[in-house]
Amino acid sequence: MTQIKSPYDVIVIGAGIGGLVCGCFLAKAGLKVLIAEQHHQPGGYCTSFRRRGFVFDAAAHSFGSCRENGNMRMILEALDLWKRIRVTRTVPSDIIVTPDHRITFWGSIDKTIAELQRAFPAEKKNIEKFINFLINSKAIDFAALRKKTYKNLLEEYFKDNKLMTILSLPVLGNGALPPSLICAFTGSKIFTEFILDGGYYPGKEMQALPDALVKRFRELGGELRLSCFVKKIRVKDNKASGVVLEKNGFIPSKYVVSNCDARQTFFKLLGKSIVQEEMLNKIDHMIPSLSTFILYVGIDKPFKSLPNPGTNVWFLPYYDLEKAYSSAKEGDIDKVEGFMVRFSPDKKTILAFVNAPFKNKTYWVRHKDKVMESFIKRIDQYVIPGLSNHIIYKEAATPHTLYHYTFNYQGAAYGWASTPAQLFTPELRQNTFIKRLYLTGHWTTQTQGIPGVAYVGMNTAKLILRRESSRRGVTT
Amino acid sequence: MDVKKEIIAIIADVSGFDIEEITLDSDLVKDLEVDSIKAIEIAVAIEKKFKVSVRDEDIPKITTTKQMIALTENYLTKKGAS
Repeated sequence: MTQIKSPYDVIVIGAGIGGLVCGCFLAKAGLKVLIAEQHHQPGGYCTSFRRRGFVFDAAAHSFGSCRENGNMRMILEALDLWKRIRVTRTVPSDIIVTPDHRITFWGSIDKTIAELQRAFPAEKKNIEKFINFLINSKAIDFAALRKKTYKNLLEEYFKDNKLMTILSLPVLGNGALPPSLICAFTGSKIFTEFILDGGYYPGKEMQALPDALVKRFRELGGELRLSCFVKKIRVKDNKASGVVLEKNGFIPSKYVVSNCDARQTFFKLLGKSIVQEEMLNKIDHMIPSLSTFILYVGIDKPFKSLPNPGTNVWFLPYYDLEKAYSSAKEGDIDKVEGFMVRFSPDKKTILAFVNAPFKNKTYWVRHKDKVMESFIKRIDQYVIPGLSNHIIYKEAATPHTLYHYTFNYQGAAYGWASTPAQLFTPELRQNTFIKRLYLTGHWTTQTQGIPGVAYVGMNTAKLILRRESSRRGVTT
Repeated sequence: MDVKKEIIAIIADVSGFDIEEITLDSDLVKDLEVDSIKAIEIAVAIEKKFKVSVRDEDIPKITTTKQMIALTENYLTKKGAS
């Protein structure tokens, strides 16, 4: 039997930021790449949508790590996209509001340190030491934080619970775990990359980021197919040999990269006939991160109490993040504690989100409006007085909505829960037990957030390219 | 178990570099592009392969392949002695 000659070297499943970055680096090196995306829009959680003349960012609303030597900037520069995307930075990037503090995160880290020191004079030296550790450590030093929790790390530096809560709230928001559960590696990365170097925005809407990556990918000879559902990953002699598309059948390729939910990759796309029961059991027992409830509001006109456009405002009415996490996890989200709200850079809409449990579709059909009203009321009460009088459009995405559009298991916002026990699960690395099948994105247990998945996407491409260059001319 | 051979195989698998490209004096960060994520992956793989516990504080101290092998041998000796 003659082997079918494939037009593709690599097929990437999923056009989220991880898949797009991976595809771009592979195409840039001259490989023929197909990205298959089930949705009609590229970007995964980094998309924008239009309703009644308003443009809303769907989930991701800004990103970090674009300082001079930041990973996100390095990636965009390597793909010749840094100037093209016109990334701008909002200053201040974040403001944390608690019953007796209002801490602003400035563009200048020294200014942020001074602000924290003014609010917590007894911790003056510790604040400097902690932030110095975060920004001046070598990348490899963060490896020493693998087994600790973020709480363990904070307690090495601080005594004041209020300060530790303030330094943990955006970590809960961007990592969906409280300080006692999130790994210090992830917690410190989130705080360093999202908060100390956060607030970046691509052009006029978040969709500009995936759109620019798609354009670049096509310029480099890549092919993106939207509304293209992958049914199976084919494996022959323990080597990935291509994918089966719902509409077009089998498409062979030399490598397959899965940027989609790991449960889908192992349970559905590969299945029991290929993956050992022990491994499926392990994945089945792993815990995904919490999902989020996202509120979208279109306003009639700008008014006085609105925050600075593009600044993320975090609000917590008490100093107990374990309690905030428990209420989110158990679905007690009428209380909507520990949320983030921002006025959009185009000054027309408001986006707010809070961690939320998956539940099911029926639950959210029944509770969505109630949760939305309660959320608006709290934003009006604590952050933007008068908001209710200016609303001309409102909508919300529930955890089920997130699942519906992205197929992320249980609408998980950040892939697997980043606990020390789950982080770096050996079975879910970029290299898999199947030759030529790679994983990338936030389901690898290594990373989360836009800079994180972009970085892992680039690294997955590098692994494939190294394999290609070392095997060139050798039939395997 | 050939510790040297196994460690080089782990580093090759995680870094993507070929076994032939990895020498005892290879600098993990400078030559093999090992970052914090890859360093942790190497530590996890060593723990799984040799049934030892890698102390987190030891990871950033490792610069070369040789040091990584010595560290693992040290863990194995301690494990054998206990």
